[in-house]
Amino acid sequence: MTCADLLRTQAFVDGELDEAASRDAESHIENCAECRAFVASAAATSDLIRHHAATHAAPDSLRHKVIAQLDADTGIKSREWRSAFWIGAGSGSAAMALAAGFALFLMLPPSVASLPEALVAAHTQAMMDGREIQVASSNHHTVKPWFAGKIALSPPVADFADDGFALTGGRIQRVKDIDMAVVVYRHGAHELDLFVWPDSGAALPDTALRHGYRAMFGKKGDLDFAAVSDTENAELKKFTALVRSERE
Amino acid sequence: MDTRRRRFEAQALPHLDAAYNLARWLVRSEADAEDIVQDAMLRAYRAFEGFRGENIRPWLLAIVRNCWRTRVADGARRETVSTEDAGIADFVSEDIGPEAHAAQSSEARRLNMIMALLPNDFREALILREMEDLSYQEIAQILDVPIGTVMSRLARARTLVREKWIAGEKQ
Repeated sequence: MTCADLLRTQAFVDGELDEAASRDAESHIENCAECRAFVASAAATSDLIRHHAATHAAPDSLRHKVIAQLDADTGIKSREWRSAFWIGAGSGSAAMALAAGFALFLMLPPSVASLPEALVAAHTQAMMDGREIQVASSNHHTVKPWFAGKIALSPPVADFADDGFALTGGRIQRVKDIDMAVVVYRHGAHELDLFVWPDSGAALPDTALRHGYRAMFGKKGDLDFAAVSDTENAELKKFTALVRSERE
Repeated sequence: MDTRRRRFEAQALPHLDAAYNLARWLVRSEADAEDIVQDAMLRAYRAFEGFRGENIRPWLLAIVRNCWRTRVADGARRETVSTEDAGIADFVSEDIGPEAHAAQSSEARRLNMIMALLPNDFREALILREMEDLSYQEIAQILDVPIGTVMSRLARARTLVREKWIAGEKQ
């Protein structure tokens, strides 16, 4: 191997060159015996491998083991979150240490600092347990009255299906010792929970990212709310704007 | 089921065969390959939230390769994972089980032996290019080397396979 352009010739064979470079390579190959030989040999080798090399498919037993392992790991994760949640409920500073956006939350009261962590834990826990929906309906006339008999607040409930956020139901969930109304939406492949609770007067963070899930906070009348999902930041922004502008 | 789990199953699990194929070409035994892939899938699952790219296959294969490297570096499993010091007969007889061995054409048997005996650096580049159809850029990321190194290893690997193949035909 002595031709200085051999690697360019190979890149040509592999389809890695742009149009101009391909033209240069082609005219070189025409005039270089070594590169011509390399092209022929690379093509033959490629053929051999594609026809004869053993392709090892994953055995079914491996597939099952991998899935079982994901199950086990999902279980461990949920336990971690649950314990983080309990620590958060008992002691703000411990939850703050867990929080990734540490500096931002130093300015907030401890109970608020651990709120994103607790909300994300509540969101994922409900989904994992398959009990994210206690009342299933895409009709706000069904969902809204359902809350009335169960919790001392009236959450904003609306179907934003035209904007891509379809109402799917609701539930009540206790987060950090507060009973919250949770309105459940589906946005494409993503679940979105709208947690609603009475305004405590505390300043809320705008948004926080935990374990890949985002919580986006807002106030509406005398209620605080947080939208929690693993969807895009911009989509959550759109959703919280819809919630704010919704007229009861 | 939570959405991360669903997304992982939808995006990563379809590449389990590719992951296993790479692992199987890196180590001698099926058991070692399975261990590596299990390890890799778990690591990938835990790191999945941080994955922002569009193409998950190279990302996953990089994790497979890192798991294999970790095991080699551990030294404890050195004898079972290093192919360089493996005897030819040992490697091939375990690499291809007796039934598969019988079912393979003599050409396939010969080619697989040639590839199995390539130095690791060359073999992995060749597998990623010829069997996984990855770009130079993707291979460079997986192997954690510059693109120029990928190109020279590929050229060397192809030349070696070709030379050994022709030498075998003459025998």
